[in-house]
Amino acid sequence: MKSTSENFIRRLQKQKEDALEFIIDTYLPLIKGITHKVLSPLGNEGLVDECVNDIFLSIWDNADKFRGDPTDFRKWICAIAKYKSIDYYRKATKRMEVSSEYMDMNTEMSVEEELIQAEDKTELITLINQLEPLDRDIFLMKFFLGYKTADISRKTGLSITAIDNRVFRGKKKLLKEASNLNAGGYAL
Amino acid sequence: MKEKDIYQLLNELDIEENRAEEMEVSEFDKAKVKKEVKMSLRKKRKRPSWKMKVAAAVVIGGLSVSALGIAFPAYAGNVPVIGDIFRFLDNGRTGIYDNYQEYSSTVNMAKESNGVKITINDAIYDGKTVLLTYSIESEQDLGDQPRIGGYLDIKETSGGSGSQHISKVGENQYVGLITGSRLDEKDVDSVNVKWKVGSISIDGTEEKVKGNWNFSLSLQASDNEVQFVDQGIEQNGVNVTIDKITVTPMSFIVYYDQLVSKEVLDKWHGIDVEITIKDDLGNYYAGDGNGGFGQENYMSWSKTFKKLDPDATKLIITPSVTLVEYTSENHGGVEITADGETKTIAIPTKEGKGREEFEMDDIVVDLVK
Repeated sequence: MKSTSENFIRRLQKQKEDALEFIIDTYLPLIKGITHKVLSPLGNEGLVDECVNDIFLSIWDNADKFRGDPTDFRKWICAIAKYKSIDYYRKATKRMEVSSEYMDMNTEMSVEEELIQAEDKTELITLINQLEPLDRDIFLMKFFLGYKTADISRKTGLSITAIDNRVFRGKKKLLKEASNLNAGGYAL
Repeated sequence: MKEKDIYQLLNELDIEENRAEEMEVSEFDKAKVKKEVKMSLRKKRKRPSWKMKVAAAVVIGGLSVSALGIAFPAYAGNVPVIGDIFRFLDNGRTGIYDNYQEYSSTVNMAKESNGVKITINDAIYDGKTVLLTYSIESEQDLGDQPRIGGYLDIKETSGGSGSQHISKVGENQYVGLITGSRLDEKDVDSVNVKWKVGSISIDGTEEKVKGNWNFSLSLQASDNEVQFVDQGIEQNGVNVTIDKITVTPMSFIVYYDQLVSKEVLDKWHGIDVEITIKDDLGNYYAGDGNGGFGQENYMSWSKTFKKLDPDATKLIITPSVTLVEYTSENHGGVEITADGETKTIAIPTKEGKGREEFEMDDIVVDLVK
């Protein structure tokens, strides 16, 4: 049996490899476009390819979490692509900045640092779960998808001031929640 | 409420990526991403047992076996002494199977039906291909090259290919080798194999001995080490990539992909890529193709070669490409309609005429020790 535009989501969730091929055939131009746009300023085509592969792997690994129709699927993988490319961009620029400042030091992140970073991200996700839906979306766009406030304003129809207010209040709430969660606290 | 992870959160986020600019992507790019993503999937699944340390062993399912009435005395000994059927059937022509005997497991499973007894002597599974050697003792003459009706059925695979050799060794006595390869590229440590023989056609006649010779066994893969290679070459619109090499004590298997550009596909009907291998010490390796799978422009093949020289550090792989025009002489198909009428399927006309061959530059692979 082959994957078609009707059944590919179900087949993907059943981990059928032909569904993976189908989404690569169908969505590679889109995914590559998004990734390229974010990462091309770094001038590293290899990184774009690596990120694109990583995006499709994540789609494969997390397919069972997806709910919706093909239109929602398209939105979902666009969001994943954006999120992954921003993540790659941040990691890459971090590395670049460090390496230019301390030329002769070991520029690789230590295992500890990497762990802390990964932990921060899951903690942040835990915290975002506590927010009300609209604030949740704003936080995702702002911190995971790298949207500018003006873009968020266009997407949500809220004014820039309203968004800034919501981000401010959200941060405060998160800070409170964070200190409740673990005594160490968490600062954005 | 259960906590949501980032993928679920992104799923709920309703934003239209309307400014998304699609990028132009070629078929090559798509195939490359597919291959790399699948390779990561395989690596990920593989990690817990990177090296399979399981020695070849044959497990015989007690219950089902006794129900089928299979006996295991050392019948094999009755057939003239053929110590190494693998080597015997190869006649020293290629040497591919020279080292199979010592790494295979002795099975000695026999099944008798209608005056013909088939005994499986040895079995081996190299991670890709299952090989069984067998001997036949018959009350009647089966001719020089009887044809065994039945193929090796490897359970839980998406497809397979296989081959058979048989040879007369004495009066009404034969030895043979049957192989079956899995076509999927999953790394599977053990396989369940069924060999159902329903008839034996007597060579040179229309006669058949009908019977029931059914065997089922499960085999562990012999020690093997996988080296991911991902080195390729592109020439004249044909791209050949060596995907991985699996080294077993008695052989090595090369997995390679062939990717053909649209221009070449439009021009030729058939595009075949063969590989020949030598090493840095000057040894040439004989090989046997295991078949392949894929689509018109993108095929994955594998080929099994004889035992790797342990001192070799490099493999020099030379792909050669044959471009063929299908004519009514070398290719054909018929369509049978519901009414039972047949009509010939026309071969579409393509620009390429006759046959062209070219050899590609060598792909040199450093062997990881």
